[in-house]
Amino acid sequence: MAAPTPEIVSALIDAVVSRVEQLSGGASSATFAVDAVKADGTPWPLILQCAATGSVPEGGLPRADQARLQQIAFAAGLPVAEVVRVLAPDDGLGEGFVMARLPGEALASKWLKLPDYAPARAILTRQCAEVLARLHQMPMAAAAGLSLPAGSTAQSLDRMFANYRRFGVDSPVFDLAFAWLRERVADRPAANIVHGDFRSGNFLVAPDGLVAVLDWELAHLGDGHEDLGWLCCNSWRFGVWDKPVGGFGERDELYAAYEAAGGGPVDRERAAFWEVFGTLKWGIACLQLGDDHVSGRLRNVERAAIGRRVSEVELDLMHLFKFGSV
Amino acid sequence: MAEQIEATTLIEAVQLFLAELEPELKGRRAFHAKVAGNALAIVARELAQQPQAKEQALLAGVMGQDAPLDTLRAGMCEQLRAGTMGAATPGLVDALLAVALGKCGVDNPRYATFKRLAV
Repeated sequence: MAAPTPEIVSALIDAVVSRVEQLSGGASSATFAVDAVKADGTPWPLILQCAATGSVPEGGLPRADQARLQQIAFAAGLPVAEVVRVLAPDDGLGEGFVMARLPGEALASKWLKLPDYAPARAILTRQCAEVLARLHQMPMAAAAGLSLPAGSTAQSLDRMFANYRRFGVDSPVFDLAFAWLRERVADRPAANIVHGDFRSGNFLVAPDGLVAVLDWELAHLGDGHEDLGWLCCNSWRFGVWDKPVGGFGERDELYAAYEAAGGGPVDRERAAFWEVFGTLKWGIACLQLGDDHVSGRLRNVERAAIGRRVSEVELDLMHLFKFGSV
Repeated sequence: MAEQIEATTLIEAVQLFLAELEPELKGRRAFHAKVAGNALAIVARELAQQPQAKEQALLAGVMGQDAPLDTLRAGMCEQLRAGTMGAATPGLVDALLAVALGKCGVDNPRYATFKRLAV
């Protein structure tokens, strides 16, 4: 994968580029800030995301399909960064795309706490409900041709259990959670386009509200209630545990606004199912990140330490089983 | 004091060293130095609190047998998978809640759910 210079990016988007600066990334993928200028002289701030060809997160979407889904969501009027160019193999930068760089705060620990963002927090529950209602109302055919992973609820649960067992770890709390989920699983076929990672850490927020929903790489076809449950997992409340919706809102308000926006009736037990599912899923992701270190795939102190976050998830799950919610 | 330099003293000394180093580091390395300091704090709490001894006693109580912790965990997981144990098993939920509290108290006592329950 070549390093993207201003000349290379300029050719991609057919505009003058004054700066390309790497923001994050490692061996397999990277994010760059791009400062370009449109033909009429107005500044054009962009983000370039690229990855070594074939490096797709497990259960994830190829970057080009992620970009196309973002384009579809943008065209449908959802708050998403506009994708202006999808990389082709000939571009020599691997898989990726160029999208608008929007102003806003991406660090949830900031926008959840700073007084400046109080107006945003006051309306964010409704805004999230509206985004999800509109996304889940889109026909699955809108994503035809994209390789979105698909599965029924029972298949998702089976896959997660197989993933857990790969690590050879015995967690009685996790097995109790699997048993709880199996007792309640209704095997629904996929019916909605699901964002798959709709949580506070993936929102771009301005003081007056939601700017964009980021990170569409875990999008798939499934049960729209999955997004409602995932948004409420305690793991994404950044310590604001008494605001179950992402650390900023109440479940009742989320469900009512979702229904009012045309998302269809919310089944509370189904949303609770997905909240437990999501909590367990994050716990297994912690095992997987810890396994990066243990297996030697990526040995470093950050991966080793994140393995210990399993106990946060175990405590949340036990709180749920003892007291009915977390 | 059995030793002049206890294990906890060594942990403190390495934490001190990391703190000295931190101003000279940036980016990923500065972040990893911070994580390394936190990891040492976990080790210090684990030495002080011995959560595995408590877990072994709690699981042995539910399983009705005394065995090493790994054996108890594996046995309980097997029964949970087979459905021969579950949330209705007497003492199981309370024991696993106590185990989880003990582990989280070592790994991250600043976690919201721990603070809620540890009052």
